[in-house]
Amino acid sequence: MRSKFILLVLLQVAVLSGIIAYRQYWVATGERILLKTAPVDPRDLFRGDYVNLRYDISTIDLEKLGVKERFQERERVYVVLERNPDSTFDATSVSRVLPAGKRFIQGRVQYERAGSKWKVLLRDDSENLHPLTPQWFSNVKKGDRVSFCLDERGQVLNFFKEEAEYKPKCRGRSLNGIVEEIEKTESRILHVEYGIESYFVEEGKGRAVESSRGKEDLRVEVSLRKDGKGIITALFLGGRLVR
Amino acid sequence: MSPGREDISFQRRLEKEAEIWVEEGLISPIQRDRIVSRYRVLKEADEKAGPGKLITTLSILGSILVGVGVILFVASNWSLIPKWGKLGIIFSSMMASYGFGFYFRYEKASYPRVGASLILLGSLIFGAGMFLITQIYHITVHYPNGPLMWGLGVLPLGYLLGFKSLISLAILDLLIWLGMEARFWISHSSYYGMMTMVNLYLIAGIALWGIGLMHREWRSLRAISSPYIILGSLITFSGGYLLTFEFFGLLAGSNTLWMFYTGITALFLLSVVMRFFSKEREKGWGPEVLGLLILTGIVLYLSLSSPPGPPKASRPDLRLFFNILFALEIFGLIILGFVRRYPAYVNIGVLFFALDVIARYFDLFWKLLPRSLFFIVGGLLLLLGGIMLERKRRRVLASFNIEEADG
Repeated sequence: MRSKFILLVLLQVAVLSGIIAYRQYWVATGERILLKTAPVDPRDLFRGDYVNLRYDISTIDLEKLGVKERFQERERVYVVLERNPDSTFDATSVSRVLPAGKRFIQGRVQYERAGSKWKVLLRDDSENLHPLTPQWFSNVKKGDRVSFCLDERGQVLNFFKEEAEYKPKCRGRSLNGIVEEIEKTESRILHVEYGIESYFVEEGKGRAVESSRGKEDLRVEVSLRKDGKGIITALFLGGRLVR
Repeated sequence: MSPGREDISFQRRLEKEAEIWVEEGLISPIQRDRIVSRYRVLKEADEKAGPGKLITTLSILGSILVGVGVILFVASNWSLIPKWGKLGIIFSSMMASYGFGFYFRYEKASYPRVGASLILLGSLIFGAGMFLITQIYHITVHYPNGPLMWGLGVLPLGYLLGFKSLISLAILDLLIWLGMEARFWISHSSYYGMMTMVNLYLIAGIALWGIGLMHREWRSLRAISSPYIILGSLITFSGGYLLTFEFFGLLAGSNTLWMFYTGITALFLLSVVMRFFSKEREKGWGPEVLGLLILTGIVLYLSLSSPPGPPKASRPDLRLFFNILFALEIFGLIILGFVRRYPAYVNIGVLFFALDVIARYFDLFWKLLPRSLFFIVGGLLLLLGGIMLERKRRRVLASFNIEEADG
């Protein structure tokens, strides 16, 4: 009885130690890459002591990459990565089979959606042209006067026609002008999860990350296993390591 | 049975009974005194220090509180302690709980109840430790693995020591894992996901129940059968109850979860096969196994034959079917409870009978049917059953020349 009890308790110790050893081996042998994060709805960003993360590679424009395949929910995919000049990585292709001789990350398809992308050219009151890429754009035609609300990084938060009765409050920077061009392109967007969508931070630290991420660039260091599975090893806010 | 396993109400009854035995000349007054004194020591202990069950309850509650405290301590992720310090706290507190628990329960055997609770605390810290480590090292790859490893780590310890508390903890862990893992595989729509979960847990409840019944009929496993039976039957009846409502009775599952259904059904069938080899099968085991098999078959068929995605149309026929099925389940359980003298069955049956009556009384669905007629016919059938059983009972008692008091 006694020896069996000790054996089973040691087995539990081995499970805990195994988790640590597994992770350490993964980090020691994996390849480190840097990923850019994408904006997240601020209400979802900070939940408990976790920072919720989305990446540029979380939403992949299949038409842009020339991928003709259709993907099913929960399907395992390999996203081929290529290094940018700023040493972060971007997606260049998606496939179901392990890409040979290329750098890639493994993920699971959340869903594939047909969507539209807009490019809007706005001429402000000082005659300067501003190319904008809102997430959606409707009920506006060329020549309308529109007010855009932008965040620090120039992303469109919302917009309204100046003649509209309802004018939402802008928490960022306002940009007013006349719409010169509207370009709408249809696309197929693949939403992918990589298992690196949350990062545990110390109590209270999540809010600090949340409040400063609009102003500064948030990058995530990921260690990739040979099969492309990633694990977060560090978080950099404006180039500084978040502890 | 040792006197230590009996409770105080038994002693009171025994004292009264022993009096009658003396009057009837079955035993002598000396024998009565010896029998009663055998249990008196326990009575005195209970009166002075509280019943043993109270000590167990206090110790278990204490362990749960300390365990929750450790988990909260983990969650607040104290920043002043370095990584190795946090690991040290987790490993040392786990080993200390197990060590002292084993010592008090088995080695010194001075505080067996507190010792058992300390062992439970060790298992709670094991789970908390797992979550702490995944947080320290940012392992977020697949969350459901956490409760799975916790449950699988605790289960063998539960079997070795024969602790119901550890078995219950392991079952709860594995049930949480089941929900998390299944959620990973089903569609993102929350309403549809909720309906699918009802069927999955219903199947899991039946399997747990079946495994529990198998444990009950094997002498070496009997002591740890109740967590399986009670949790299993509660989950089965909760699932069946939910299916009687309009919003759940629309559709019964998702064929994308076939691997879960296969695994759980295989476990259930294995437990049924094991019962055939048992030499101590309980009364009414045949109809019981048959009932559970039919229930599994129905849920499996409806779950796997329904197309994935949200339901297309309302299915009043399916809902009526689930309502009749649920009523049959309740009566089957209550009858089995009486036949087998197993109060847990009767209690669970009566609880869900009451819940069902309340739900059906306020149910909008039954506006379509003559609701009053449903209650009257149902009630009359029950009364008729009562009259028949009472007549039979009187005949049996009359054959033994025993007269029964009213009430």
